Amino acid sequence: MLTSFLTDYTRYVLKGGKQFYTWMGVLSAFILAMLFVFYLQNTDGLIVTGMTSQISDGLYLANLVFLVGVAAGAVTIVFPAYVYHHEGMHKVAVLGEMLAITAVIMVMVFVFAHMGRPDRLWHMIPPRGIYSFSSMLGWDVMVLNGYLILNFVCGFYYLWCKYTGNPVNQKWFIPLVYVAIAWALSIHTVTAFLMANNPARPMWFHSMMPIRFIATAFAAGPALIILIFLIIRKNTKFWVDDSAIKLLTTIVQFCLGIAIFLTLSEVVIELYARTEHANGLYYLMFGLHGLTALVPWFWSSVVLMIGAFVMFFMPSFRNDFDKLRIPCAMAFAGIWIEKGMGLIVPGYIPSPIGEVTEYHPSFVEWLMVLGIWAFGFFILTILLKGAIGILLGEIKHGGPAAAVK
Amino acid sequence: MRKLASLSVILALCGGAFYAVSAAEKAAEPAKEAAAAKTPLECFESRKGASELTQRDVQPGWPNVKCSPTTGAALWYGDPYDGTVPMGKMPGLDIAEGKAVVKPRTEKLALMPMCGVSCHNGVGPAFNPPKLPKDKKPAPVPTMEAMVPDLANFQHGRGRIWCMDCHHTTQRNMLVDHFGDPVSFDQPQLLCGKCHGDKLRDWRDGIHGKRIGEFVSTGKKRWFTCTECHNPHNVQDGARNKGFIQVQPEPSPQLPRGMANADHEKLHPIPH
Amino acid sequence: MVAEFAVKPAASQFTPLLEEDVAINQKPCAGAAQDRPSDCPVQPASADPAANQLKTTRRDFLRAGGMLSLSSLMGTAALMTQSDNANAAVEWGEHFQKNYRLMTTEEKNEARLRLERRYSDEYGKKVSVDTTEAQPGMLMGYALNIRKCIGCRRCVHACVAENNQSRGPRPGEKIEWIQVLRMERGKFEQEKMNHGYPEGLGIQVGGNAYTPAGQVLEGQYHYNPKAVPEADATYMPIACMQCEKPPCVKVCPVRTTYREGDGPVVIDYNWCIGCKMCMNACPYWARRFNLTTPVLPKEEMNPVTHYLGNRPRMRGVVEKCHWCLQRTRHNRYPACVEVCPVGARKFGNLLDPESEVSKILERKNVFRLKAELNTFPKFFYFYD
Repeated sequence: MLTSFLTDYTRYVLKGGKQFYTWMGVLSAFILAMLFVFYLQNTDGLIVTGMTSQISDGLYLANLVFLVGVAAGAVTIVFPAYVYHHEGMHKVAVLGEMLAITAVIMVMVFVFAHMGRPDRLWHMIPPRGIYSFSSMLGWDVMVLNGYLILNFVCGFYYLWCKYTGNPVNQKWFIPLVYVAIAWALSIHTVTAFLMANNPARPMWFHSMMPIRFIATAFAAGPALIILIFLIIRKNTKFWVDDSAIKLLTTIVQFCLGIAIFLTLSEVVIELYARTEHANGLYYLMFGLHGLTALVPWFWSSVVLMIGAFVMFFMPSFRNDFDKLRIPCAMAFAGIWIEKGMGLIVPGYIPSPIGEVTEYHPSFVEWLMVLGIWAFGFFILTILLKGAIGILLGEIKHGGPAAAVK
Repeated sequence: MRKLASLSVILALCGGAFYAVSAAEKAAEPAKEAAAAKTPLECFESRKGASELTQRDVQPGWPNVKCSPTTGAALWYGDPYDGTVPMGKMPGLDIAEGKAVVKPRTEKLALMPMCGVSCHNGVGPAFNPPKLPKDKKPAPVPTMEAMVPDLANFQHGRGRIWCMDCHHTTQRNMLVDHFGDPVSFDQPQLLCGKCHGDKLRDWRDGIHGKRIGEFVSTGKKRWFTCTECHNPHNVQDGARNKGFIQVQPEPSPQLPRGMANADHEKLHPIPH
Repeated sequence: MVAEFAVKPAASQFTPLLEEDVAINQKPCAGAAQDRPSDCPVQPASADPAANQLKTTRRDFLRAGGMLSLSSLMGTAALMTQSDNANAAVEWGEHFQKNYRLMTTEEKNEARLRLERRYSDEYGKKVSVDTTEAQPGMLMGYALNIRKCIGCRRCVHACVAENNQSRGPRPGEKIEWIQVLRMERGKFEQEKMNHGYPEGLGIQVGGNAYTPAGQVLEGQYHYNPKAVPEADATYMPIACMQCEKPPCVKVCPVRTTYREGDGPVVIDYNWCIGCKMCMNACPYWARRFNLTTPVLPKEEMNPVTHYLGNRPRMRGVVEKCHWCLQRTRHNRYPACVEVCPVGARKFGNLLDPESEVSKILERKNVFRLKAELNTFPKFFYFYD
C-alpha cells in the first residue's frame, strides 16, 4: 500500500504541462547555481560571501530567521482549523503543514549555507558528537527538527488517510496537532532567543524579540499563504474557500499592526535616550559615521509594512482577491527586509567594540539565497501539487492513477 | 519562461567566471608579496638607538628575534636572553643567582670607551688647567658641550638638576648615587630611583617597565633597565604625551571586505 | 584573598625540569619544549584523577555508540574535495577524531602525532604540537596599563608572528587578534558654546557637549600617523578577556570552545563547526573567522605550537587569543607582553601573591572592560 502511495504520488507530481516544467526548470537552474556556490563556499571558504569577521553573518542568517517565521506562520491555518474548527481552514490545513515542511527544510539549507564547516555538522549529534543544552543553537536545531517531524507526520498521515479513504485516527492525531501548534511558537521563540541572548549585541538584546518575531512571523507566513492560495485557486481545480482567505487576511492585518507597533516602540525607546546601545538602530535608520548602506532598506521596509497595513483596512483591497495580492506581497517583502537587513545585519554594526563597517553581500551570496528560495519553491510545488491531488481525489488508492497502470 | 531559464543559467555561469577570476588573483598575489616582504635582519628593541638585536636561527626555523619589515622594531622574541649579563645586586630585590639578567648598556654608548681613559681617568684631566667642579653648582663644560651640541637644552629636571647629578664627577664612565659612589651604566635603576622612587618600587615588582622570559615569579627574566626605554637626556619630545619617545606605528589592520577606507572613523557624529 | 588561596607557587613543581633542560642544551630559551619540540618531556597527565576516570567511561560509551552513517557520508564528501592523496589518511583520521576534551591520553597523543606529521609536511620544517595541560596552582591573569600604551601595534604583530594567523592580501585573509583603539582626547572650546545638545531640534540645552573625550568606543582602529603616541590621543588595546564566565562558551553548540583550568578560553579547531555563534556572543569582539584557508608562508610559520593554541588553523573555523598557551604552559611570557616597548602589558599567576599581576591588583586602580556584563574577565586594565 505504501509503495502504491509513493508511486501514485510521484506519478501525479511528475505529470504536468509545459508551464509546470518551465517553472520547475527555472527553479532547477537556480538550484544548480546554489550547488555551485555551496561548492565554492566549501573549497574557497566563506570569503566568497560578503561576510567578514566584523559582520559574521548576513543574508543567510537573516533568511534563516525569516523562514523560521514562515514555518511558524503555518500555524495560523492549523490553529483555527483544529481549535476553532473553522470549516474553510480545515479543508486547507494540510497545505499549511506542507508550507511548514518546506520552510523548515529551507531553514536547514540556510544553516548549511552559513556554516564554516558544514562537513562537521555531525559534531552536534550524539553519541559521537556532543549536544550542548546550554547553547541556543542546539535548542534551535532540536525544535526545528521536531517541528519538521511533527508536520511531516501530521501532514502525510492526513494525506495518507485521504488516499486510502480510511478515517483519521482522532485519538492521537488531534493531540499531535495541538503539540505541533505549541511547537510552532517554540521554534520562533527559540530563534528569537538565539539572537536576543547576546548582551554583546545591544540591537538584539531585549525581551521584545520573541513577541516581535512571532508577530512578524504571523504576518509574513499567512501573507505568503494567501498568495499561494490565490495561485492555487487560479491554476488548479482545488477551491480554497473565501472564508479561509478572509480569516488569514485578518490575521495578517492584526499581526502586522502589532509588528509595526513593536517596531515603533523600539524606535521611541531606543532613540529617546539615544544611548550607545542604540547605535545599531541608529545606523539602520539614519546611518552612522556617514555610512548609510542600510538606510534605504529600513525605510523601504517601513513604507511596505505601513502601506500594506493601511491597504488591508480598505475594503477595496480586502474584498477583491485580485488586489489583495498587493498588500500581501508588500507585507511579505517588508517583513523579509525588516527581519533580514533590518534586524540581523545592524546587530553587527557597530561591532561590540565600536568598529563601524558595512555589509555588502556578494554576488554569489545572492545567488545562494536565490537558489535556496528556488529550492524551497521546488519542494513546495511538489508538496502542494501532491497534497492537492490527494485532496481533490485525483490520487486515490485504486483510483484513476492506479487504473492507468 | 524560457527566457528566465536561460537567464538563470547565465547567472550560474557568471558565478563560475567570478570564481575563476578570483582564483587567478589569488595565484598572482603571493608572488608579489614575496618580492615586497624583505624582513630586515637587525632590529631595535624598546626605542631606537637603545639596543639592537641581529636575527639568527637558534634552531632551524626558530630565530632569536623577528624584526618588523615596516619599522625595524623587534616584533617577536624567540630567545629572550640574547646577549644578556647578570643584573647584579639590587637593593630590595632578592632574586636567585642567574634568574635576573640585563642587556649591558655600556657597549651601546658611543663615547663610553673614551670616557674612562682619555680625559676623566679617575684622577682628573691631565691637561691645563686641571679643573673639576668643586661643588654641585652647574658650570659650563666646554669640552662636553662641543661633543654634545644640545647639551644646554636638556630638559630633564627643568634646570633643577645638571650633568653631575647623574654622572660621576671623576669617573665619567660611571653614574653616581646619592653618596657620590659610582653606579654602572648597566644599573641605571640605582641612580634613577634617587628621584623616581615610586617608579623604582613599581619596577622592582614588575609593574613598571618590562621583563621578558619566564613569567612565574621564580623564573628567569631579562629585565629592561630604565635607559633601555627612556632616554634620560630627552624626556620632553614635542608632540608626544607620554614619557616615551615617539615611534612609527606598525601597519593598521586590514580593511574588511567592502570597505574602501576608514575615513568614517574620524567623524564623531552628534548623537541626538 | 589572593594570598589566602595561593598554593605553593606552581613553578616549583616543574621549573627544575626546565632548568635542567636549559643547562643541558646551553640554550637560553625559557620553555624546554620550545627548544626541542620533537622530544619534549612526557606530557603531564591531568591533575585530577577523577577526570581521567570520567574520560575512560565516556570513551567506552562513545565506542559503543558507533559511527553515524551521516557523518561518514559527510566525511567522504569532504575528502572528495581533497586532491592530495598523501594527506588523505591523515585528513581522514583528523576528520573523525573526537572533541579534544573527551580524548584519552593515547588519543591525544595520536592526534598530536598526526598533526605534527601533517604540519611538518606542509610547512617543510619540524613542527611540534604540544599538549601540555593546565598546571595545578596556576591561574593566569593579565593586566594592561592604559596610561602607558602608545598605540604602536607591536603587540598586534607579535601576536601574528607567534600565533600563525592568516596573513594573505585579500580582504578577510589577514587576521589579527589584538585591536588597538585610538581615542581622541577631545577639546572643549569657547567657539563651540553655541553648538550642542540637541542641535537641530530648535532647543538648546548645553554647548560643547560633543567632544569625544572619554567616549570609550568612539574611536579609530585604522589610525596610521607617522609617529605615536600622538598628543591628542590615548590608546586602548582590546583582545580576548579570557572571561571567567565566557558568553562564547555558553553558546557553543558543540562545546568546542571552553575554559581551561588555568584560565584561558580555548578552541579545539578540529571540532569547531564554524557556526559563528560565539562571535555573536563575545562582547569584546575577540573572535575571528577563517573565511578561507589561512595564508601562512612556510618561512613565517612558527613551528612551536600547542594543540589548543597556535597550531595552524583550517578554513571555516573560529580562532582567538589563548594567551600564547604554547608559551605560557611552559612559563614563558606571551608574545605581546615581550614586545610591548613601554612595558604596558603584564602577565602572571593570580594565585601567586608575588606575581606582577597580583601586585597590580593589590596596588593599582584596575577595571575590567564592560564589567556590567558579568563576564568577569581575567584581563585587567590599570593605570599608575
